[in-house]
Amino acid sequence: MNRHFYLDLAARGVRMPIGADLVLHEEPDPEAARRDGRSLGCVIERAAHRWNTPLAMPLMDLRLEKTDLLALASIPEHEAEAYQFSAPLDDRAMEALCDLSASSFCAGSVARDQAISHIASLPDLLPVGMVIGPFSLATRLVRDPITAVALAGMAGDEPQSPEIQLMLQCLRASEAAVLRSIRSQIKHGARAIVVCEPAACTAFFSPRQLKAGSTSFERFVMEPNLRLRAELEQANCDLIFHDCGELIDSMVADFAQRLHPVILSLGSSRKLWDDARLVPADVVLYGNLPSKSFYSDAAMPVETVVDLTRELIARMQACGHPHIVGSECDVLFVPEAQHAILAKVDAIVTCAPQAESPRLQSITRAAHP
Amino acid sequence: MAVSTELYEAILTGDARKAHAATQAAIDAGIGPMELISASMVPAMNEVGRLYEAEDYFVPELLLSGRAMKSAMELLRPLIAAAGLRLGNRIIIGTVKGDLHDIGKNIVASMLEGSGFEVIDLGADVAPEKFVAAVEEREPHVVCMSSLLTVTMPAMRTTIQALESAGLRHKVKVLIGGAPVTQQYADEIGADGYGDNASLAVSAVKNLCAVA
Repeated sequence: MNRHFYLDLAARGVRMPIGADLVLHEEPDPEAARRDGRSLGCVIERAAHRWNTPLAMPLMDLRLEKTDLLALASIPEHEAEAYQFSAPLDDRAMEALCDLSASSFCAGSVARDQAISHIASLPDLLPVGMVIGPFSLATRLVRDPITAVALAGMAGDEPQSPEIQLMLQCLRASEAAVLRSIRSQIKHGARAIVVCEPAACTAFFSPRQLKAGSTSFERFVMEPNLRLRAELEQANCDLIFHDCGELIDSMVADFAQRLHPVILSLGSSRKLWDDARLVPADVVLYGNLPSKSFYSDAAMPVETVVDLTRELIARMQACGHPHIVGSECDVLFVPEAQHAILAKVDAIVTCAPQAESPRLQSITRAAHP
Repeated sequence: MAVSTELYEAILTGDARKAHAATQAAIDAGIGPMELISASMVPAMNEVGRLYEAEDYFVPELLLSGRAMKSAMELLRPLIAAAGLRLGNRIIIGTVKGDLHDIGKNIVASMLEGSGFEVIDLGADVAPEKFVAAVEEREPHVVCMSSLLTVTMPAMRTTIQALESAGLRHKVKVLIGGAPVTQQYADEIGADGYGDNASLAVSAVKNLCAVA
């Protein structure tokens, strides 16, 4: 993996939100642009240039792999988002779902790939692909994934209960779907892939069970993602790992040390300056301003965003870990709150670190007594 | 003290099979359904809520306990209906229009049922008019709305407005919740309450029913 490129970006003080959705909604017809590769590519290009970053972060559309997977089970696109399996699948169904040679993709995936090709034709931008992670995809295929995983984590539960059996089947099928997507995006020029696993978190994996010795996190999250990492490494494609869910330290350590991505992107529940001790020095930390609250000026005024950005920059400088300032996740367009959100996104990028602030001085001094 | 300590323990530890067996044993021993609910199940779910607030239990434990509680209720509901009894205050719950996330909503529904409420679950992607129709037909005490995406949160405001237009707003309390939702947003759209997590949502519903 080309770590120096990302470490250099961090050293240069790049600040960038994951903001393609905001730029998409400046189009006269955002939904048409989403499904047209060239238009989508131009949106991603504009987003990268707007925030002055060489990383052309894609639109975070985590529905595509599910649509493509379910097409192999003859589920039409308009039913895919809500569709869930209700009982363990037979061998024939599993064979179809796990077919790595399947090559047809939905319109959204085709547009995604064409957008990557567009970015790849530009000299100043790095084309970045994106997939939903295999565990997170599996959770969207069943009605109650948390219970299934919790049952798998309980000592003494019958390993072949239908819920667990189905969940494991969905995980296998999901890994295949994600692999197909990754291969297609690499084929179209992606040089880095963001693997998004928002479900790999304490909402799905009980810290109590993990402390008691459950291996469910290893089985459901780490094993498939380690295989994806190996695939990316073989293709000389960089791994960016994103998980904005609530995490415990051991999860962060596993992502950072064992998946060893070039960038680890975490949600606002984590203090990145504390997490730095869990993360190897050659893994850039990304994020993690609380962009999910940006829609509300009452809950998150722009002044608070400025303060949080300055604190984050100061603390990360004090701890010395490579860091790119950004949002905790994709910053979604909300029609009622467009101006509020954009003001805060711009604040992240433009606010100057304020060394004179007493609060920041105390942070810097504490780190370097 | 729990009438059936086995049922209490089974719900607390999230063991659906043991909960089912303990319930059947209690029924066979002549213990009435309402007594089982109030003396064993509600205390168990209250303890589950307390352990969650103490960060000793997490979402998976909530769901396992809810599942155990439901397995007990499967045996009790026919008995309650046959005796013409009614569970506590009636709650309507759903995830708003455009949002398919339902796990949080399901946890709250389970915990409300475990706390002795009658819960009518409208599911996910529920249009304002469907909430209105349900309120008109079922006359709940509280309507709970869930949203997990900032882009679907406006549907909470739209639903409250729909209740106002239908002349039903004053007849029902409205509670909202979900990851991006805040107390400020609840105040802004005229909701009566807000639950920061499943356990607090249940407490909020109890408070709203107390003042209703």
